[in-house]
Amino acid sequence: MGRQTTIRRWGASSVAFFYCLWSVVAAQGYSFNQVVADLRQPANLSEGSACPIPSHQLDGPGAVVVRWSTVLGTSLQTVLTADQTPAGRLNEVEQVIQQSLNVWISVNGTSLTPSSLGTLSRVSSASACGSDGKNSICFDQPDMAFTPGVLAFTRVITADAIGIQIGNGPVSTEVGQILDADIYFNPSDFSTTFSTPSALSANPKSYDLESVLTHELAHVLGFSHSAVWGAMMFPFAPALGTFTGVRPTLQQPDAPLSDDDRTGLRNLYSDPLDTVYIGSIQGRVLPANPLSLPVAAPWVTGIFGAHVVAVDVATGSVIAGALGGWSCQAPGPVQFDGSYLISHLPIGKSYAVYAEPLDGAVAPSEVSNALVTLCRNATTDPGWPPAQGCVVPPANTQFTTRTRPEP
Amino acid sequence: MSYVQRRRFLWVLFLVGIALIAIVANGTTLIRLPFYKLVQNSSAIARVRCVSSDTRLEYGEVWTDTVFDVVQHDKGYLPSRIVVRTPGGRFQRIRSHVDGVPEFRPGEEVFLFLAGRPGAQFKIVGWTQGTFRIRTNRQSGAETVTQDSADVPVFDPQQNKFTKMGVKDLRIDVFLEKMNKEISRQAL
Repeated sequence: MGRQTTIRRWGASSVAFFYCLWSVVAAQGYSFNQVVADLRQPANLSEGSACPIPSHQLDGPGAVVVRWSTVLGTSLQTVLTADQTPAGRLNEVEQVIQQSLNVWISVNGTSLTPSSLGTLSRVSSASACGSDGKNSICFDQPDMAFTPGVLAFTRVITADAIGIQIGNGPVSTEVGQILDADIYFNPSDFSTTFSTPSALSANPKSYDLESVLTHELAHVLGFSHSAVWGAMMFPFAPALGTFTGVRPTLQQPDAPLSDDDRTGLRNLYSDPLDTVYIGSIQGRVLPANPLSLPVAAPWVTGIFGAHVVAVDVATGSVIAGALGGWSCQAPGPVQFDGSYLISHLPIGKSYAVYAEPLDGAVAPSEVSNALVTLCRNATTDPGWPPAQGCVVPPANTQFTTRTRPEP
Repeated sequence: MSYVQRRRFLWVLFLVGIALIAIVANGTTLIRLPFYKLVQNSSAIARVRCVSSDTRLEYGEVWTDTVFDVVQHDKGYLPSRIVVRTPGGRFQRIRSHVDGVPEFRPGEEVFLFLAGRPGAQFKIVGWTQGTFRIRTNRQSGAETVTQDSADVPVFDPQQNKFTKMGVKDLRIDVFLEKMNKEISRQAL
């Protein structure tokens, strides 16, 4: 601890400089999975800009289609239910999946609504997950990616140009469109089981299926991880026998979510008719001493990878956190100038904003998809146009902050 | 900012901190992989230097194969150059990704806890849990080791309490001693 403090002090020549304004701007720094369009394609397919676009599902009527494998564990019962009859088990699991989907489509102020969901369907194959253009949930499909310590994961395939198709799925009509997202639950760890909410209290040594599913479904929607403790998108599952947040109710179906999750969803699926969640806070996190910036990366002019958090002054609640450090204006590329933007905040409130390095509960590696994918260049993609290439610097985790008002 | 405003701001931060501690105490966990289990689940442990990475399509999915030079190995047999496979990557016109998978930069040195055998691609045990980054102090040249998942409170169901596990900013000689001690203990 003492050593850490020393290192921090040594590198502590940083000042967070914040200013606030209420407007919506193009630059973003939120923790989503970002995609840079393939500029080697014609402009009508790539849209011509190297600015990152968050990966997302289409949100038109019935656009988000999910199916699930009814094989719940062959050699071992992976999913535990209160109802033990074959039909009852499947109904109970399906109810949990539907409930977990409802959590996300019930957030107000987004364009993702109940009508965006297609019918939840069943598939009898254990190996329903794969690059086939269909979003699937699998409980008994082994995958090479699993290692001890991995409960479940979501593999998301995103288009970096218009006109791409996976399997028999739809052809992409937008850059960043998610073409396939599959959720894999670990079937091979004999000590790991998942319980539906009704079965959880009787099986306290199992994981809450609803919490894990709700988290993974957000990856299906395009979320990366959040560095806010208590957020549904915090990278780690709740303890055995417990669940994240509170259970959803008819009155508040999105109850398990934190405000950070809701704000994230509003960013990802913004509602053009919304009149409540239209506030933004933007600024730059800059070092007090520019010489403290990495010498090896002269294109970096601000702190990159800072976790910037907006707190509701009246309640003390964290409303949103964003990964800051960059901005982009078409045709790009990204500028690593320390910029951050927290948008879709409820208006009429006062916020305190602070920045912190990603050296606490969440490390840069936990949100790497939101950081390392901001750039493409001739090394990563031969033939890339040099004027629109860039290199992502390492996240700066050695700074401390103090705040001062806008001059 | 006036004194009163500054005080109010600090109070808000303090209260937020307390609230966050309460939240995490209610619900953040990993599948517990304490250090001895990491060692136990690893067929090999090595200090490696990232050389390059490449994506490929196999079994219908996109994988990233990262090539590492083995600087020193502490458990198991390893050739001088190994390939570590992680899910996701960019292949042709699609990008497949899985959150929570560690990524590496050429030149970077890390300790990896690996599962697999020579002749095939290795996997990293517990993804971030089995990844220990080596940092070098620019002034003193001293090396420290930090686990990617360090500082995450882990719930121990046997003791019914949260503990902060993981390795963070540990001097490399202390880390090596800890690791070798555990490897020797398990070899008995």
